[in-house]
Amino acid sequence: MQIIFATMSRLFFVLMIGVSLFMLFRGHNEPGGGFIGGLIAALGFALLAMARDVETARRALVVHPVALMGSGLLLAFASGLPGLLSDRSFLTHWWTEIGSTHLGTATTFDIGVYCVVVGGVLCLVFRLYEGIEQ
Amino acid sequence: MAWIILIALAGAAIARPAADLLGRASGWVTSLVPLVLFVLILRQVGDVADGGAVIETFSWVPSLGVELTLRLDGFSLLFSLLITGIGTLVTIYAGAYFAGKPVADMGRFLALILLFMAAMLGTVLSDDLIVMFVFWELTSLTSFMLIGFDGHKPEARKAAIQSLLVTGGGGLVLFAGILLIGMTLGTFSFSEVLSRSGELVASPHAGVIAALIMIGAFTKSAQVPFHFWLPNAMAAPTPASAYLHSATMVKLGIFLLARFDGVFAAMPAFGTTLVIVGSLTMTVAALKALRAEGYKAVLAHSTVASLGILVMLIGLSGEVAAVATVGFILAHALYKAALFFCAGTAIHATGVTSLRKLGGLARFLPVTAVAAVLASLSMAGLPPFVGFISKEYLFEAQLSNGWNVVPIVIAVLVNAVMCGVAGVVSIKPFYFKSHRVETVKHGETPGLLVGPLLLASGGILIGLFPGGIGDLLIGPAASALYGSPIDVSFKLWHGLTPMLVLSALVVSIGVVIVIWWDTIHDHLRRQDGLFKLVGDGGYHWVVDGTLNVARLSTRILQNGDQRRYTAVVVAVVVAGVAVALLAGPAGLYIAAPEGSLRASVTLVLLLSAAGAVATVLARSLIAALVSVGIVGFAVAVTFMLNGAPDLALTQIAVETLLVILLTAVLLRLPAQQRHSRTTGERRRDAALAAGFGLVIFLAVASMSAIPIDMSLTEYFGQTSYLEGFGRNVVNVILVDYRAIDTLGEIAVVAFATIAAWALLRGSGARTRTKE
Repeated sequence: MQIIFATMSRLFFVLMIGVSLFMLFRGHNEPGGGFIGGLIAALGFALLAMARDVETARRALVVHPVALMGSGLLLAFASGLPGLLSDRSFLTHWWTEIGSTHLGTATTFDIGVYCVVVGGVLCLVFRLYEGIEQ
Repeated sequence: MAWIILIALAGAAIARPAADLLGRASGWVTSLVPLVLFVLILRQVGDVADGGAVIETFSWVPSLGVELTLRLDGFSLLFSLLITGIGTLVTIYAGAYFAGKPVADMGRFLALILLFMAAMLGTVLSDDLIVMFVFWELTSLTSFMLIGFDGHKPEARKAAIQSLLVTGGGGLVLFAGILLIGMTLGTFSFSEVLSRSGELVASPHAGVIAALIMIGAFTKSAQVPFHFWLPNAMAAPTPASAYLHSATMVKLGIFLLARFDGVFAAMPAFGTTLVIVGSLTMTVAALKALRAEGYKAVLAHSTVASLGILVMLIGLSGEVAAVATVGFILAHALYKAALFFCAGTAIHATGVTSLRKLGGLARFLPVTAVAAVLASLSMAGLPPFVGFISKEYLFEAQLSNGWNVVPIVIAVLVNAVMCGVAGVVSIKPFYFKSHRVETVKHGETPGLLVGPLLLASGGILIGLFPGGIGDLLIGPAASALYGSPIDVSFKLWHGLTPMLVLSALVVSIGVVIVIWWDTIHDHLRRQDGLFKLVGDGGYHWVVDGTLNVARLSTRILQNGDQRRYTAVVVAVVVAGVAVALLAGPAGLYIAAPEGSLRASVTLVLLLSAAGAVATVLARSLIAALVSVGIVGFAVAVTFMLNGAPDLALTQIAVETLLVILLTAVLLRLPAQQRHSRTTGERRRDAALAAGFGLVIFLAVASMSAIPIDMSLTEYFGQTSYLEGFGRNVVNVILVDYRAIDTLGEIAVVAFATIAAWALLRGSGARTRTKE
């Protein structure tokens, strides 16, 4: 059981990260968004931490979860600055059209939310599971 | 004028790093900042000499109607000159006073002094009451930091906190008064308040406003019953005592009262209260001055007495009272700051703080001794010093007001005590043979002498040639207070008047006090009961009481038992929702369900109910966790069935995460622990849970019975693609329409998580050591 879980966790992890990114980017038009995407991604990492160990999950995340959380917050904040410059209104988003898809600073904002959620959840998950392993 | 405050602030910002570069010369160099400001302000003398005012306006917080209006008239000019002039001398003196201390200490002190100076200038120059209040509180804060400058001494910390609580708390009372003025008149501009004073006095709030403003001023100027903090504030380094706690900050209350005296002129109770409070303060402080032992303490009590005299003078009406107020402010600032400087030098050189143990210091500190004598002659009110002139005006104001004889007797006696104090503080430590000090740690340095000498000789020069100061400073300042130009004849000799008789009486009693000082002192020291009555017992009662209430509430509400917290939160929610349902405007309203029962939803809800029952019956924590999970997933399916896929997705993800997190927590706990609660506790828990379920059910039922306003839904539905370029309305609201809310929420999430993360680190380490 443990072996199967551990082996499959790699696959599930990749799948879940893929789904989470899909959720993040389609969020503007279909159900999804940064918050849900972030939760799913965090679940993927948590799965890895449970099936293997926290160290593996930490390596997969590359950056420290608190740092991820902070950069997400910064990114969300920064996405409001262009609007402040052009329209003197913070968080009024800029938009550009590539083909039929609209891209704008709102997407950046959503990525920021995604990072905060992933970082925030994982800081607690990693902390809690690290104690148990030892 | 804005430049004046900005320069002072800039000086405060660079004083600390500059001290590292300048080293011992910091005091002299830093004193250039207040000196330059003094000269700048001096250049304005001509503009306000005719009783007019210079006004500058900047827009500051336009959305709140707060304007940075600066207004310089005769009265604020006098204060500004005192602030910057004495500020110059204080910085020079501090440079010498801190000569034996680390340079970093000196830099910190000088920076605080300049910051305080900026705050003082802001307070006396701002016309907008809100702006004035901000600066007012800044003076309290800097005072707090200066009193607690020697933070390693417990008594300094205690005194600092006491002064902050009293003056800061009084500031809040004042703020309430200012807000009421704003509500009544619709303006925070003092000029406008003054010109519409009739309207203010006629309003129903007038009495409350006057009381609030008086309390604010009384705390700042240490009037009974808030008089106790000022003597304790002597824990501050002496240059700060000289500056803040005698010459300038404590006079802010006087400043405020004098300003509002014009506003409340039509309210007799205002003046009467001031006369009564002032007289009480004078009496209490004079007695305490006779009883005090420390050199600085004696001076501090006499300062409180002087502030009482000023409050009483403001309570009196008429031209003479205005001149007397202004003259006394000037005279007191000059001699009291000088005496503090001398006291500081004596204490610093000997390390002895008690006045009784100092004697014969004139051998080591000859110039300081001379300055002390000059300053105290002015304090004693002897001719030809400025103190004499101001005391003549004091008595004239009292006599011309036709008050009954009690305040006059009090004034004579208090002035006699001041005269006695003046004699004792200057003669005893420097010239008396008893308790002769045999060695001193250091002699006089130029920095220690400039301040006392200039101030003391200023007292005699103004006394000898009062005309110029009378026309240029006293006249405009008194006119600004009185509201119309006064022709001031500020002169030394008024002829043989009743005032002169009173002065002579004061000096004779004063001499008696000097001679009998030790006897009076010893006698008063035995009167413990009396002085307990006028001490700071009330303050301690309030502070300790508050702390006890805090401890009690912590013990009851924050006892560390998670079940207690949950119970409190749930009970409050149940009570709150129940009250809202029963007493709220919507009322309890349950509509009969319309349409037929939907099989799918019913099935899911039954599953959720089964999960809830299973949770309660579960034998192990893991089983309970899984059962709670069933409820959560059932809720998610309900969302899905009702057309909210976003919510459903979030609910599923959150539910899964919750299981993961709780599993980690549960793995640390014993899996089977049934009877941690007594039967009674379990019954109470059950009752709370049932009550919670009931009120939430009723609330949801009542809410869904109210027809939904669809206009927002329609608005977002129509505009979300056109303006936000997204068809998922929920997400467009989150990232665009309400993006600032979302930003705030993720910030809260991030900070809460960091806090939890830090706390978990602690517990993790503990677990590890246990294993």
